Amino acid sequence: MSFVQNFPFFSIILAMFSGIISSVLSGKKARNLSLVMIAVTTALSAGTLLFCLRTGESYPYMMGHFPAPWGNEIRAGILEGVTAVFFGVVMFLAVLGGLDHTAEDVEENKLNLFYIMIDLMLSSLLALVYTNDLFTAYVFVEINTIAGCGLIMIRQKGRSMSAAIRYMIMSQLGSGLFLIGLSILYDITGHLLMSPAKESVAALAASGAYRIPMLVIMAVVGVGLAIKSGLYPFHYWIPDTYGYATPTASAVLSGLVSKGYIFLLIKIFYRVLGYDNLVSSQMVNVLYVFGITGMVMGSLHAIHETDTRRMTAYSSVAQIGYIYMGIGLGTQYGMVAAVFHIFTHSATKALLFISAVGLYEASGDKKDYVSLRGAGYRNPLAGIGFTVGSLSMVGFPMLSGFISKLLFATSALESPHKMLPTLIVLAVSTTLNAVYFLRLVITLYSRRRPEDAPIPEVKVRSSWHLRLAILCFIAVNLVLGMWSQPIVQAIADGLAMFG
Amino acid sequence: MEGNMILLLPMVCPVAAGIVVLAGKMFRKDRKYLTGVSVMVLVLEFALTLWAVMSGGSLTMLRLTERLTLGLGVDEVSRLFAVLTASVWLLVGIYSVAYMSHEEEEHRFFGYYLIVVGVLMGLNFSANLITLYVFYELMTLTSLPLVLHERSKEAVRAGLKYLFYSVAGAFLALFGIFFLAGVSESLTFTAGGVLNDGALAGKEGLLLISAFCMIVGFGAKAGMFPLHGWLPTAHPVAPACASAVLSGLITKAGVLAIIRVVYYVIGADRLRGTWVQNGWILLTLLTVFMGSMLAYREPVMKKRLAYSTVSQVSYVLFGLSMLNQTAFVGALSHVVFHSVIKHALFLTAGAVIVTTGWTRVEQMRGLGQVMPKTLACYTIAALALIGIPPASGFVSKWYLASGALSSGTGVWSWAGPAVLLVSALLTAGYLLPLTIQGYFPGHDFKGEEIQKRKLAGKEPSLWMLAPIGVLAAAALLFGCFPGSLISMLQSIAASVL
Amino acid sequence: MIQHLSLNIEETVAVILFGVGFTILLLHRNLIKKIMGMNIMDTATYLFLASKGYITGRAVPIVVDGVQEVSAYINPVPSGLVLTGIVVSVSTTALMLSLTIRLYERYHSLDLDEILILAKEEEQT
Repeated sequence: MSFVQNFPFFSIILAMFSGIISSVLSGKKARNLSLVMIAVTTALSAGTLLFCLRTGESYPYMMGHFPAPWGNEIRAGILEGVTAVFFGVVMFLAVLGGLDHTAEDVEENKLNLFYIMIDLMLSSLLALVYTNDLFTAYVFVEINTIAGCGLIMIRQKGRSMSAAIRYMIMSQLGSGLFLIGLSILYDITGHLLMSPAKESVAALAASGAYRIPMLVIMAVVGVGLAIKSGLYPFHYWIPDTYGYATPTASAVLSGLVSKGYIFLLIKIFYRVLGYDNLVSSQMVNVLYVFGITGMVMGSLHAIHETDTRRMTAYSSVAQIGYIYMGIGLGTQYGMVAAVFHIFTHSATKALLFISAVGLYEASGDKKDYVSLRGAGYRNPLAGIGFTVGSLSMVGFPMLSGFISKLLFATSALESPHKMLPTLIVLAVSTTLNAVYFLRLVITLYSRRRPEDAPIPEVKVRSSWHLRLAILCFIAVNLVLGMWSQPIVQAIADGLAMFG
Repeated sequence: MEGNMILLLPMVCPVAAGIVVLAGKMFRKDRKYLTGVSVMVLVLEFALTLWAVMSGGSLTMLRLTERLTLGLGVDEVSRLFAVLTASVWLLVGIYSVAYMSHEEEEHRFFGYYLIVVGVLMGLNFSANLITLYVFYELMTLTSLPLVLHERSKEAVRAGLKYLFYSVAGAFLALFGIFFLAGVSESLTFTAGGVLNDGALAGKEGLLLISAFCMIVGFGAKAGMFPLHGWLPTAHPVAPACASAVLSGLITKAGVLAIIRVVYYVIGADRLRGTWVQNGWILLTLLTVFMGSMLAYREPVMKKRLAYSTVSQVSYVLFGLSMLNQTAFVGALSHVVFHSVIKHALFLTAGAVIVTTGWTRVEQMRGLGQVMPKTLACYTIAALALIGIPPASGFVSKWYLASGALSSGTGVWSWAGPAVLLVSALLTAGYLLPLTIQGYFPGHDFKGEEIQKRKLAGKEPSLWMLAPIGVLAAAALLFGCFPGSLISMLQSIAASVL
Repeated sequence: MIQHLSLNIEETVAVILFGVGFTILLLHRNLIKKIMGMNIMDTATYLFLASKGYITGRAVPIVVDGVQEVSAYINPVPSGLVLTGIVVSVSTTALMLSLTIRLYERYHSLDLDEILILAKEEEQT
């Protein structure tokens, strides 16, 4: 066994240990440790990815001394590697970009707690990506929820705390359903490891036994994770949560946490329940309907918002809808498009949340439309960052959002029954996106009116880390938009490895 | 990146210069520096365009996905549009040197002015539909600051309107592009179309729907009904030189896109006789008539010219919708002629605004006493647009009408020319009053304002007058010697039809 | 049908309890009751798992008298899962309770709707 194969395990445990060590460190040291840790785990994930690309196959990694089907396993393949690297990069930039705001929002003596949460969050995200065991997935889903809740409530404002408890309640509903789902699965298959469980499921499907329990499992697991990732009818917690947390937390929650759950869902679909069973059980159609409803409704809500952060949050509802729509198409292409949109959305939404920080700084920390008028001139780089993010969300060519749309549309052409609704909803949703995002962009570049309230103190320049983070996010967006081919290929190969 | 790199130059050079102008501090302080550099870049741009057009060839820039590439190439149509764009852009640039001295934040105008021409060149040289779409969106985005220049409430509203119409149109078109990508080998422009019969089997209905979506969607830029609304809003608030290029060249980008889609991707034969053709003809004729009518009733000069653009660009689209060689020649020649003429008209309106501050037509009584030479140029351009021989508009309208008559489209073949004729009368009705009132204000006209403000004989500076004069002369000369242009257009028409 | 249900009485009860807990967590406005609902929901799942692992007549899987063969003991995995699950649910309960205390100190209410309204008002002032 090559030494590189240990890397996934190392990265998970490293993130977790840094969280534990941070509890005795000062805020600043915890912050530095966190940044170094994220960089190192990303490098480790990159190593894993390169290994998998070179060997061209995935490998399971035994945790402890019991071999499958009894012991615990993690598994690394191309898709896991790409996702882990990507999550690491986005996490690093989000933490980097939000540094100052975090220091302002969080009490001095609690700053290290914030970074503990970040460390635990990364650890649980990596575990969700790599795990090959359903119960481990459940445990890390809970750790993820707790860390997420911590990230929201660390800003000691009334609204962020009420948002945190709402988030917690919705998450508990989701994880409760997930847990009962996998208990039933364990009941009928006798396995918690994904690979043997899949064999049993396939055998059961072939024999036609336990048809209704299987259906219940699919529904319960699907709905549970859909609640946690904020799919349309279960989205109530999103605007408050993303709207009132500190910017790093918003970027991480919207960009990564919901995506971690979706990734887990895809993994369970492929590696346990079997994608063909899912397609034949109509479950994908349910997700598809929820997805396209979300695409339209999320955008409609966003149009009504005057608070720009809540607007951005509602746009997440629409974008999550895109991802589920792709999953719901029920084809390989649709799934590739969905996974690509996971990347697109996390890079773009994090960019929006982080560059918005620069705009708020230049507008006396106000977040409504009127105060932001002309902010693009007061903080040019943040303005450009927000513009690029918005254009990418709308789907302008050369940016990542365009490739997502292209992939969705071409995959829709492959599935005859869903082609027309998909294309129509795609067009409608894009136009709605354009309405609110471009309106905001124009607002950023229009002249302040005499009747506008004066800006208290204009911070002329943002700190270097914010600017660096914005630049890197723009670069990530452009790379996804212009050199998407290898990434799409990697996603397709990775999904093929899921089997 | 493989192929003829020269094609990149007309695109990269002005964009880079524009970014430098936007970012550089010295351009904000020193006006001479700014205008000098801008004009020099525009001259260079003209030379580079000629070089690129001469050298020909093609260039693959980037692979977006396996089948979709970003590529440039030169064919007859791109030659026509590229040379037209570069030369008119240069003239308007020279005019702007004088015009923009009355406006604030010139560096922003010139910066984006340079960037837009680079993007337009990319559009003109696009070798496939995806590249065209990319540059089309970029053009919307980069030309937006020209509309927003004043940054007033009205300008912002107009900018938003411009953006939404363009973006909605572009996404409507994107719907079609996604479909076409599925039924063709590649989306590279080829005369006669690239669609694959095998892949298309059973999807003919969808092909027609997406063709119609693309025509209407790209038609937004060309001001075709029902997405024409942005033109009359955006033009009055933009600086006159910006309105000139918006209406003279940016609208033509929509025309170019439609030509590419209909004649170079789908193929004219697939649309002939279908409901798409009929619907398209109906829309263009409606736009021609409605635009002229609205222009006739419009008192504000720049808005009147904007409505006139709505109507005149739809002449072009009407010619294209006939799917017939003669009408096609008429359409393309009208692209050139209308562009030249409309620039002359808008620049005149700008000159009037700068010198006198008059914006409404009834204020301009006695204009002949203020700027007789400018008004003479205006008159020539106006006559050309109406289509009085030997000026250029006559030639294009002749081809349009005779093409329509021989197109075999049933009722349209005679209804079309009739509408064109009525519209020509209306054109005379809305353009000539300025000339008549300007030179012959009548006995009751005392010209108090002209005397009080000492406006008599106050021609605009040579920087402004010269471009107007050149454009007016071109409008006349194209009509007298159309031979070589028409024969070039006929060869294009023969290749696509 | 009834026979099936009574035969699998533990599972039936577990699923009913799960439904009760889920509904309380979703619909009740009082935060403390929500937390109770959450605990009922989790405990129902543990009951389900534990009953799945139990085999009538066998012993707890702890080797005391040197009996080594597998047939003497029940399946240990579900018991392990239940233990892990309890740890998880204790920690989430603790977190929820601490949040509830915070909110109660701030708004003197346990009604979630009321808290949300109060928080909104607080922010606007």
